[in-house]
Amino acid sequence: MIEPSATLEIGRRKSELKSKAMAMLPEGGNLDLCFTCGTCTSGCPASGLFGMDPRKFLRMVLLGMDEEVMQSPWIWICTMCQRCISACPMKIDIPRLVFYARTQVPRDERPDGILQSCNKHIESKGGAMGIPKEDFVYVVEDVLEETQEEQPEFADMQAPIDKEGSLIMLNQNSREPVLEPEEMVPLWKILHTVGADWTYSSHFWGGENYCMFLADDQNWEAIIREQVRMADEVLGVKYYVNTECGHSFYAIWEALRKYNIPHKFEFKHIVELYAEWMKAGKLQVSSDWNKELGIKFTCQDPCQATRKSLGDYFAQCQRYVIKQCVGEENFVDMVPNSVDNYCCGGGGGTLQTNYTKERLAYGKTKFDQIAETGANYCVTPCHNCHSQIHELQDHYEGKYKTIHLWTLVCLAMGKLGPNERTYLGPDLEEVNLPASTNEGE
Amino acid sequence: MPDNVIGSVMVAGGGIAGIQASLDLANSGYHVYLVEKKSSIGGVMAQLDKTFPTNDCSMCIMSPKLVEVGRHKNIEIITLAEIESIEGEKGHFQVELLQKPRYVDPDKCIACGACTEKCPMRRIPDEYNAGLSNRRAIHIMYPQAVPLKYVIDPEYCLKIRKDKCGKCATVCPKDAINYNDTEKHLKLDVGSIILAPGFEAFDAEVLRPYYYGRHKNVVTSVEFERMLSASGPTGGHLKRASDGADPKKIAWLQCVGSRDINRAKNAHCSSVCCMYAIKEAIIAKEHAGDALDCSVFFMDMRTHGKDFEACYNDAKHKHDISFIRTRVHSVTPLDEDTLDLAYIDDDGNMAHETFDIVVLSVGLQSSKEMIELSQKAQIDLTESSFCKTTSFSPVQSSREGVYVCGAFSGPKDIPQSVIEASSAAQCAGADLIEARGSQETEVEPTPQLNVLNESPRIGVFVCHCGTNIGGIVDVEAVAEYSKTLPFVEYATTNMYTCSQDTQELIANTIREEKLNRVVVAACTPKTHEALFQETMESAGLNKYLFEFANIRNHVSWVHKENPALATEKSNQLVKMAVAKVACLEPLDEAELEIDPSALVVGGGVSGMAAARALSAQGYPVHLVERETELGGQALDLYKTWQGEDIQEKVRELIDQVMRDDRIAVHLDTTLEAVEGFVGNFVSTLKTGDAEKRIKHGVTIIATGAKAYKPSEYLYGEDRRVVTHQELDRRFIEDDPALAKAQTAVFIQCVGSREPQRPYCSRVCCTHTMENAIQLKKRNPDMKVFVLYRDIRTYGERERLYQKAREMGVIFIRFGLENKPVVVAQEDCLNITVEDHVLHMPVTIKADLLALATAIEPHNNTRLGQQFKVSVNQDGFFLESHVKLAPSDFATDGVFLCGMAHYPKPIDEAVAQAQAASSRATTLLARQKISISGNVSYVRPEDCSGCGTCIEQCPYKAASFITEGMWAGRSQINPMLCKGCGLCMASCRSGAIHLKGFDENQVMIQIAEAL
Repeated sequence: MIEPSATLEIGRRKSELKSKAMAMLPEGGNLDLCFTCGTCTSGCPASGLFGMDPRKFLRMVLLGMDEEVMQSPWIWICTMCQRCISACPMKIDIPRLVFYARTQVPRDERPDGILQSCNKHIESKGGAMGIPKEDFVYVVEDVLEETQEEQPEFADMQAPIDKEGSLIMLNQNSREPVLEPEEMVPLWKILHTVGADWTYSSHFWGGENYCMFLADDQNWEAIIREQVRMADEVLGVKYYVNTECGHSFYAIWEALRKYNIPHKFEFKHIVELYAEWMKAGKLQVSSDWNKELGIKFTCQDPCQATRKSLGDYFAQCQRYVIKQCVGEENFVDMVPNSVDNYCCGGGGGTLQTNYTKERLAYGKTKFDQIAETGANYCVTPCHNCHSQIHELQDHYEGKYKTIHLWTLVCLAMGKLGPNERTYLGPDLEEVNLPASTNEGE
Repeated sequence: MPDNVIGSVMVAGGGIAGIQASLDLANSGYHVYLVEKKSSIGGVMAQLDKTFPTNDCSMCIMSPKLVEVGRHKNIEIITLAEIESIEGEKGHFQVELLQKPRYVDPDKCIACGACTEKCPMRRIPDEYNAGLSNRRAIHIMYPQAVPLKYVIDPEYCLKIRKDKCGKCATVCPKDAINYNDTEKHLKLDVGSIILAPGFEAFDAEVLRPYYYGRHKNVVTSVEFERMLSASGPTGGHLKRASDGADPKKIAWLQCVGSRDINRAKNAHCSSVCCMYAIKEAIIAKEHAGDALDCSVFFMDMRTHGKDFEACYNDAKHKHDISFIRTRVHSVTPLDEDTLDLAYIDDDGNMAHETFDIVVLSVGLQSSKEMIELSQKAQIDLTESSFCKTTSFSPVQSSREGVYVCGAFSGPKDIPQSVIEASSAAQCAGADLIEARGSQETEVEPTPQLNVLNESPRIGVFVCHCGTNIGGIVDVEAVAEYSKTLPFVEYATTNMYTCSQDTQELIANTIREEKLNRVVVAACTPKTHEALFQETMESAGLNKYLFEFANIRNHVSWVHKENPALATEKSNQLVKMAVAKVACLEPLDEAELEIDPSALVVGGGVSGMAAARALSAQGYPVHLVERETELGGQALDLYKTWQGEDIQEKVRELIDQVMRDDRIAVHLDTTLEAVEGFVGNFVSTLKTGDAEKRIKHGVTIIATGAKAYKPSEYLYGEDRRVVTHQELDRRFIEDDPALAKAQTAVFIQCVGSREPQRPYCSRVCCTHTMENAIQLKKRNPDMKVFVLYRDIRTYGERERLYQKAREMGVIFIRFGLENKPVVVAQEDCLNITVEDHVLHMPVTIKADLLALATAIEPHNNTRLGQQFKVSVNQDGFFLESHVKLAPSDFATDGVFLCGMAHYPKPIDEAVAQAQAASSRATTLLARQKISISGNVSYVRPEDCSGCGTCIEQCPYKAASFITEGMWAGRSQINPMLCKGCGLCMASCRSGAIHLKGFDENQVMIQIAEAL
């Protein structure tokens, strides 16, 4: 990006980008405080991509190189994972600066994948994949019916939509109803088993929020406000629960703060509830199935739900759940982990951009981390992480498999049906199948 | 000032600062309560292995002071005590202390150690070794501890906790154990208070990604000191904690808990970490050899102290230590033993390296207890929670009569702490002069035994010095060998011969064995001779009947690889010492009245502050200034780093000096000649053509330094290029043109850290911050750039650097090989430099260029000769001891302060001025002084009157006798003689003899060696 031979004249340049960004950011994002010490860059997997790194990026902004900065696609490969600001001695908010820089790209010039996802979400009033409300309702009902029929022990399981007065409103990531409907089932089974009083909302049911990644504040806020209205006013729930997806969680968690949205419900991540239910004995799992097998599991702590919002508490919940399911001795942690974890590179909307090469290069750090554990499975609750880590395995020819947490929980409950095992490897294809399916054979 | 002023002072904190303050006060006629919260004094310095930049052994240089405090009649050490409240006011405070129980009666305990051997609680982390080794429930902090009294840790003692065990009481031969000991509330009435509580190290566990506390090979710098120390858990053998393997690569991470407002919540720079990391790396390489690879990861290398830059350069070039300019995000353990660091190198590339040990250079901060106490006691703290002081009263807290020194008033190194300690002692004492001596305990000297006609009975004490000597030399064998030597009646070994209990042991042995000569085979007379001589005097022996064999510096440190020969050489050195000591005779010391007045040379801020301080102690002062007005360099300066108006403050100070009846100001005056010696100097002052001779007991040199006149960056050719002083002048005059500049640039290190002037000028970075902020205040839209090599805003000055950045000042770093280029254009200056992040040249069109020019010493040769004091390689005056006597000279009665010592800001100059005065006061308060017995004398009957000795003597002590039967022969004035021996060596007639080093005494040593 930078012409090394050119002499840049900086004495009288005006840095519009900087002054505007500072006006927008809380405490000006501390941008001016940069030591140029390199902490951010040494901890950032996006360092070097597009010839850019977080320190360089900030430096160019501070030197008033607005045009050069805006020419770099780096702002779309930075996932805003906040690993830089967490360690920055001056607590400089580079992630928000990146977000701000994204806002400065004319909306229709932003990466098309992200743009379309945001637009579809708004237009369909459902999710980012844009399927009509009727389709969502149909898929849920259809899959439920099929499960009730095929798995007799779940004959009375429900997947309510718009059930007023429920205790919990649950959002749903679009990927399952649109692309892999059977992946919805394990979660329903868990909710059914603990006797949860829950419902989907048919209006803005999609948890994912590409408007956030698009840096489209207006629409990001609009989506969350609609969800808040549904939860508080229409359905009157006590809890708004987010599925396993990390960015979906953060989009709501952050919007409630950022846009100062008043709300009555308590907002929770489903992984918190898994742990609570297990501790309360409502959700009974056993790791006996893995005693002999000794299959090793590691897990990805999604930045959005860990470092960026719930902190180590989320990581602890997740580990508690996994260890209950696979046995303490079969869990191997990545180093570093929890709030210090590396971003996988799938966040920030990168999956919806064309910067595949850079995204995979970004993810190499994560791939190496997973490979180092020697684990057979990487439990990855977050959807974006899941897609990225899955793809990393494929691209770098890793030996691990990537699964959602619900798959594992249901497996350890002995309730994971044969066609809910898409992401499991042959080693687990027939392990701990529900009694009913065995009988069926 | 109330009438009932109390002549005693409480010093809170028994680290090196508290120790120095106590000694200065106790030696100036005040009674001192030295209050320490731990069971013994010594503080952090007692834990350090070596001290920078000289790599002196920390305990070795400190132990004489520990012992001196321990046996000083006017210092009462109160251990295990913390301050509860401070009531009253300047001159008469009431302090309440809460003293925790020791459970051992200190009057009975003889520190025999029988108790600790029997104690079953063996696995208690030993705080002295930073938790790297274990101690028992009944213990002493460290072998040389003062007071050397055992203490029971009630949290672990089985008897106290569960009423079980009780073994220590059964084995104690003195019945000193008291399990029923209780907390005590003590009340002290004191005239002044000095707070010297020191610092606590930052808790590195806060920075989780560094894995401290989670991986064995991530250690703090404090732990690493103990890992290096001969008295540490590994006996000084450097090992990887995880498996005991020899480390191949060690990394230091700087600024851990400093310059971090995010997780560490410490905005300040801790000032000392860069130097201690360099020192630790050098020592580590000395221990482990060249195979060890050491890397220091840093942001700005802050080697801003005297001789620090040279040490840094040596570390890079001589010791081959890597310095990597980056801050590391996290430490990633690869396995149980090794650690990976990912970092961005100077070229902007990612790099990975694997290390065996990662040392976290932890910062300094105030303890929670001190913050709470300060709030209770109405003592204001700074934003960084250090004690608030001002530039012109640098040791005065916000509460009158309460003074502060050491790291509690901001992170600082040992010399600066020692300077402040003396400064605080000076201020605390000056408040109480009418009560001086009122609380003093008179010391009755032990009557001297007459041993003149006795046959020699020699005692030999051979020191292990932990493993320092004992690790190489077979110390027991040396003691056994000593017993075979003529006249040796007694020989033994000691773990630490310099410790307080050993002094008692030596004194008792002298009495019991009727010894009349003593040889100590240990370290160097330079630091320890006075200590052992004092011990001899306490046992009634003349102190000159003593001889030192240096089996540490001359043996164990230099013959590590050959222990057998090292032991053999030790034997020989002891044999020589024994032979000599047998020939020694008791010597008398002449006593001399001290003229109770002072000469201060130099009328800048330091000189004026020194004069004021001496006057406050009641002594008349001659203040000599060669210019026609007082004020010195400060007359050109605008603001202090704390924002005080320098012109206003300097005018105030000048006014105070001029109105002070005890100060005689000699303006436009030079020092023409100096005669005499400590206590009795006679100096010739020349004002115009008039010469005047004045008498003075002491001298303080405060001649300052000067600004370098640059020839680079178009200075002198383009009026837009100015120095800091010139810019300050424009601020002082409030030049409206300043605010009109659109773009201003500062260039740092102009003339500093260059081959011709390799040291750092210490003040320029801070000065640039002040001026950049001033420009920004005058015109917030002005673009301000600072082109620098390392930003060295040490301590709380770091906040100015932060503020400058906050205001939008841009900092661009350049290297010595890649300096900025300034080209004059009609409408601007084009300043081109490569940006250190983007690695591309940038050009700044500037209206103003300010050069941060070096501070250089005056030509100090003549003054040095006049007072027989020397200068260092940079031309600044050389103090007596870099660490522990920074304001003293090797020449008795001459003291040093201000920029004549090294470039420094006003607060430090004032502190040192007061410190020099304090040091002078300890001398003046004695009224009399003893002159060394090691002086030459002439036997006139043998003298040929050739005059060679008179020519040779550098101290003008030799002269011709002018009257009587020996007229024309030589004589030597013992008051002037320094015992150098030049006269004796040059005397062709053998008429001159040096007491204690006479021909027979030296020749017999040589004969024994051959």
